[in-house]
Amino acid sequence: MKMSSSVNERKRRAISNAVMVVVAVVLMVAGGGVGYFAGAGSGAPVTTTVTAPGATTTVYSITTVYSTGSSTTAATPTLPSSLPAATISETGSTLLYPLFNYWVPGFGATYTNVHINTAGTGSGIGISSAAAGTVQIGASDAYLLPAQMNQYPSLLDIPLAISAQMINYNLPGIPSTTHLNMTGNILAKIYNGTISYWDDSQITAINPGVTLPHQIIHPIHRSDGSGDTFIFTTYLSDTNSWWKTNVGFATSVSFPGIPTAAAYVGNGGMVQGCQATPYCIAYIGVSFMSNTQAAGLGYAYLQNAAGNFVDITQANIQAAAAQMESSTPPNEAISLVYAPGANSYPIINYEYAIVSKTQSDANTALVVRTFLNWCVMPQNGNAPSYLNKVGFVALPSSIATLSYAQIAQIGP
Amino acid sequence: MKAGGSWRRTADRVYALVSALLGSSALLFLFMVLAVLAVFGVPSIIVNGLNFFTTVIWNPGISTTLTTIRGFPAMSGASYGMLVFFSGTLISSGLALLIGAPLSLGVAIFLTSVAPKRLSTSLSFFVELLAGIPSVVFGFWGFLVLAPLLFNYVEPAMAQYLGFIPGVGGPVYGYGLLASGLVLSLMIVPIVSAISRDAMAQTPVELKEAGMALGMTNWEITRKVVLPYAKTAIIGSLVLGLGRALGETMAVVLVSQSALNVLPKTLYYPINTLSAFMAVTFDSALTDPSGMEVNAIAELALVLFIITTTANIVARLLVRRGFISSAEHLVQV
Repeated sequence: MKMSSSVNERKRRAISNAVMVVVAVVLMVAGGGVGYFAGAGSGAPVTTTVTAPGATTTVYSITTVYSTGSSTTAATPTLPSSLPAATISETGSTLLYPLFNYWVPGFGATYTNVHINTAGTGSGIGISSAAAGTVQIGASDAYLLPAQMNQYPSLLDIPLAISAQMINYNLPGIPSTTHLNMTGNILAKIYNGTISYWDDSQITAINPGVTLPHQIIHPIHRSDGSGDTFIFTTYLSDTNSWWKTNVGFATSVSFPGIPTAAAYVGNGGMVQGCQATPYCIAYIGVSFMSNTQAAGLGYAYLQNAAGNFVDITQANIQAAAAQMESSTPPNEAISLVYAPGANSYPIINYEYAIVSKTQSDANTALVVRTFLNWCVMPQNGNAPSYLNKVGFVALPSSIATLSYAQIAQIGP
Repeated sequence: MKAGGSWRRTADRVYALVSALLGSSALLFLFMVLAVLAVFGVPSIIVNGLNFFTTVIWNPGISTTLTTIRGFPAMSGASYGMLVFFSGTLISSGLALLIGAPLSLGVAIFLTSVAPKRLSTSLSFFVELLAGIPSVVFGFWGFLVLAPLLFNYVEPAMAQYLGFIPGVGGPVYGYGLLASGLVLSLMIVPIVSAISRDAMAQTPVELKEAGMALGMTNWEITRKVVLPYAKTAIIGSLVLGLGRALGETMAVVLVSQSALNVLPKTLYYPINTLSAFMAVTFDSALTDPSGMEVNAIAELALVLFIITTTANIVARLLVRRGFISSAEHLVQV
């Protein structure tokens, strides 16, 4: 009897000791976690803010950032005949994802011992993963904003190709061969609810000869963060001052809350959603043109900076890109939206690889440089055989040269 | 003998320590998650204050301009309000419960009181199978089948014939509140019906026989004996189902239309929920150079965490009390 009670006593003490130790461990780990995440969460942005002393607001002027580019002009690089065995990873933009999946086997045909993982996760994750070093290449439809460059000073944004965007609509009774004319200003008013019917006088005024129905417009936008939203809202900001000061442009913006609006995930979701919603209007990447046509959606001719309504043809995209060639700075962070020129299609953008200048070792840096150079070269990754599959357009040669120069900065 | 004893004591101590460590890992994880959410959420809690709970507009601000609000960096014009997501979460889950509760109770009653034993066993199996379907599959079905069906047939008819009821008239969208509520209701049926069935099956045979002896019909026995008997556990199972609906993400992302800056006024409005919004916005929040949108999302997560944890605790207490009271009852009988 006594014996068993003392055994119980000992057992109880052992357990209480164990519990004490466990509680201590819990507190230590939780505390460590708090400390770690406090550093990552609120510390990092604070230390990188560049608020001028005395002022509470800092507006970054674009010129201050453009002066940071390297001045070394790299000629067309020569690719090594073989590479050391390596595995590198790419993640980010879902718009670039299909192209990477064409590029990787093409590259792998020459460099058989290099393995490249690809993932379509979204431009934001592409940028933050490249910054964190969890992947070597982040893919983004959006360039790095000045504030982001200050946040991640080691990141480069390197254009790999040029993409464009359609403005699609589902208008029963109007054949998809009839293309409506549309302006950025009117689109902004549709998306903020100022214009709510298809037969609004502002729309009919630029569409003579088309009988538009008296139906409510359903503006559709992306619910996930998207480079498409980035360039679409850039177009709206460039053409409508209310939009510029109240909503702005980003991969996801605070779209005005109007009950007739709708949102979908991904370009595929936008096609499906627009097809299911008569009298909708939507913005969809050009690589989905075969899908929008199969869904019976029409697309608009957009007004460019010269005032002309232009079709989304390869020639018009190239015309816009050519106009922006000379103003592209060495760091290549620039919007191509609303370019000057009579034929320029107004919503185009560079598709970027977001890469850190400092890779983990020399071999990785060599492989990343070789792969990116291969992607940009007109006889390799920028060949029509790759780009035509996704509706993209090749970089002009002077832009490719700027990309080579940026790629040359990648080192261990 | 002595050495062996001390070795065994050490082994015993190690055993106690290791098992306690493993056993407390759940607690550890809970604290870690809470700590991370709290730390990430603090800047947003300070910057947004009470506005976070009272405003409709979720605005990360203008991406080209950084500013400082109450000592924290943010994009200019940033202001975060969770009302759209909070109300969407509660309304869609409430609707799911409204549709799912009678459905689940019907299933449970049929399985315990009406169906013959063999049918009941095999049917129970299928109901439980329903619980194992990943939510994205429900969402996929909702996106491809349910929402277009609602848009083309159900909602126009409802708006036309039941439009006199407030909130049922007006333009229809297909994807929105009704679709979300329906998909969520299907997802809570297995959990609610399984627990209710177990509670109802515990009704003592003597009570049922007493009912029969009094000449009660099958329906009267269910209504006057079985349901009162299992009442607390059934309510608990409903709250547990609510807990699942509150946190459901993927299915809602696919069928809700992810409303932004607008509150639902009819049954058909686009909506958004805390979890769905967190999932779809996180990517672009990472591009906010001030980091404030990530902080605001952490605060959303904190709110969701508190809501679902509360629902789960309440549900578990109710379910346990329900079963305990039935057991006590059994002893008395």
